[in-house]
Amino acid sequence: MNKRVLFGTLIAGALSTSALQAQDSVFVGHLADLSGPTAFVGKNYANGIRDALGYIDANGGIDGTRLEFETVDYAYKVPQAIASYKKWVSRKNMVAMQGWGTADTEALITFVAKDEVPVYSASYSGHLTDPTGKNPKTKKPAPYNYFYGASYSDGCRALVQWAADDWKNKGGAGKPKFTHVGDNHPYPNAPKEACAEYAGELGFEVMPPIVVSMKPGDFKAQCLSLKDSQSNYAYIANLGGSVVSLIKSCGTVGTDVQFMSNIWGGDKPIFEAAGAGVKDYIFPAMTPFWEDDAPGMTLVRDISKVSDPSGTEFRSHHYVRGVCSAYYMKEAMEWAKANGGITGANIKQGMYARENWVPKGLEGVCLPANWTAEDHRGINTVNIYKGNYNGGDIEIERVTQVTLPRRDDWLGY
Amino acid sequence: MSTVSMRPCGDFRTSYAEDRTIFETRTTLYLAIATIALLCLAPFILDAYFLTLGIQVAYLGIAALGLNILVGFTGQISLGHGAFFGFGAFASAWLHNSFGIPVFFCIPLAGYMTMIVGMIFGSPAARIKGLYLAIATLAAQFILEDFFARADWFTGGSYGAAAPPVAIFGYEFTNDQSFWYIALFALVTMYLWGTNLMRTRDGRAFVAVRDHYLSAEIMGINLTKYRLLSFGVSSFYAGIGGALYGHYLGFVSAEGFTILMSIQFLAMIIIGGLGSVKGALMGTIFMVMLPEMLEGIVGLLSATSWGGSTAFTDGLAYLKEMSIGLVIILFLIFEPEGLAHRWQQVKSYWKFYPFSY
Repeated sequence: MNKRVLFGTLIAGALSTSALQAQDSVFVGHLADLSGPTAFVGKNYANGIRDALGYIDANGGIDGTRLEFETVDYAYKVPQAIASYKKWVSRKNMVAMQGWGTADTEALITFVAKDEVPVYSASYSGHLTDPTGKNPKTKKPAPYNYFYGASYSDGCRALVQWAADDWKNKGGAGKPKFTHVGDNHPYPNAPKEACAEYAGELGFEVMPPIVVSMKPGDFKAQCLSLKDSQSNYAYIANLGGSVVSLIKSCGTVGTDVQFMSNIWGGDKPIFEAAGAGVKDYIFPAMTPFWEDDAPGMTLVRDISKVSDPSGTEFRSHHYVRGVCSAYYMKEAMEWAKANGGITGANIKQGMYARENWVPKGLEGVCLPANWTAEDHRGINTVNIYKGNYNGGDIEIERVTQVTLPRRDDWLGY
Repeated sequence: MSTVSMRPCGDFRTSYAEDRTIFETRTTLYLAIATIALLCLAPFILDAYFLTLGIQVAYLGIAALGLNILVGFTGQISLGHGAFFGFGAFASAWLHNSFGIPVFFCIPLAGYMTMIVGMIFGSPAARIKGLYLAIATLAAQFILEDFFARADWFTGGSYGAAAPPVAIFGYEFTNDQSFWYIALFALVTMYLWGTNLMRTRDGRAFVAVRDHYLSAEIMGINLTKYRLLSFGVSSFYAGIGGALYGHYLGFVSAEGFTILMSIQFLAMIIIGGLGSVKGALMGTIFMVMLPEMLEGIVGLLSATSWGGSTAFTDGLAYLKEMSIGLVIILFLIFEPEGLAHRWQQVKSYWKFYPFSY
């Protein structure tokens, strides 16, 4: 054979092999906060995503297509999130992304819509739920943003609904008082107005919000204000260490108020850290807990073995929520593969293909979801739990399940 | 003016005009033009990842130069530069969303709005200095951060504000390739203007205020005026940088403009070199590239056979953050005058080679 022909054949062969390989795998980027200010819960959630993606890849991928992924710890810094995103889009042909917080998700809204890359974030901000900008209140439509769970606003509305029933059951007279407790910061503020509005509708007297720093500290002064206002129900919008400090400070002051927290503010590690101050603490959850016996928990425990082969490590419910987020994406990708190929635009269509949708194998873990092209409120059901410390034996029990109406004026709000 | 070398040996300046020229020799002038021409070709060669880093260098670099004019040239201090940067972003979005002004004009207007805000917060500078001034500007940082979260009419509150792309004659600069030119144009204009400012009466007054305020006053320099003006110019730069940032992302959220950003700007000018225009740019490039380089190293280590475990990659994540801190400390110890000074030494070395004097 002529040398030139041989050389040409070799190059063509190499090119076609690499092209085949490229077709045989798809890339998903994963932004995580493992060392930044939200790492307290960010790590748990990121582990859930990472293990789930690893597990999917090791068990057949997306119907035979390999699932490549890369986790980048962006430490909650927007410029680094943007740089990673651009790298993935331009060099790895990313088809979908697992994101994390408000800062990176919002910074990327425009880019992902233009590049047609669906993003599954853990920012449950209500304004990510309006893909078309139908609601006049929506500042910016977010057509390529998804999240697994109720929005912060819906979560808070569900808690307020529970509080209204609780007030009735306890035989409370007159108007109960409701207070928003949180830092003056986009994340705690996200549900503030929406929730106060609904509380007003349900007959609460909405008290002026109390500002409590996101950083842990001594919050006795704020607890005294809470006590003075004679609030009956307080919604804690912060996370982690700040919640622990607040519970401890209010315990010292002797505040008699029913605390309710957002999705990041209630989990086992928080109750362990806060100790005896925790009494009938109410919080929402979108998945069962690690010790629970739902059928889908078998798969979750298998997934957990990806990073913990012994299977002994405790996983918080944030981890489980990460698994759900990854699996909704996986099934949308499977739909895309069967309907024209795994591209961002097809994955988006895959998100709308089913109703009351629970990923296969995660029955009883992920709540049935409904995404439509007009409404990205995938979940409008909220499970409400009560937590108690009980001398170190942490008791968590489900109190009720609230299903919220899909009101048009609540879309994107 | 010498034409053959990058830097003439000895000082041959014989007129004031030569003394005050922006480019030392014709060669440096041609080199600068060639570099800009080459940078204009970048979108045809580089991918979106490199372009986005370049764009980051542009908007952060403009703001960093502003801070360097205040800190490096005038000797004032500000811990609120991140908040001014954010104010520019919100102001530009607000001008466009509320009054329908084309984005291209919103950007400089946002600069002027930020300048006014900066001068209001800078007004205590007329009476206080040093640590006291640092705390006063720290207050600006916190007041503005709180304002961003509260002022629904201006910033959209916790929802943030949409910032549409720059558009000229109907053409929208939406992707990295096209926005690169906007960023490059802004960077070159602002840096030329910054360099020029330092040759003017006002710029020299800034330096005089920094070097010895009493002598400056005796010479007839109005201290209050120039300290305030320096705050104004610095905030103008921050506002322009912030507005570019906002229109690049398309969305402005109050979350990013924290004290950490202000400190990062300070780090940029300290690493680059206080009181040097090109130092501000060098420091910005350094601070933008460092995390990316470290991320690359972390990525390489993770790809090894023993790098797959979660514990290992989590450890690397912390190592990465610590390395950034370590590099900054090493800089302060071994290169306190910044990258600009090092660059000067490199040039002198080549000039004088093989003699060391």
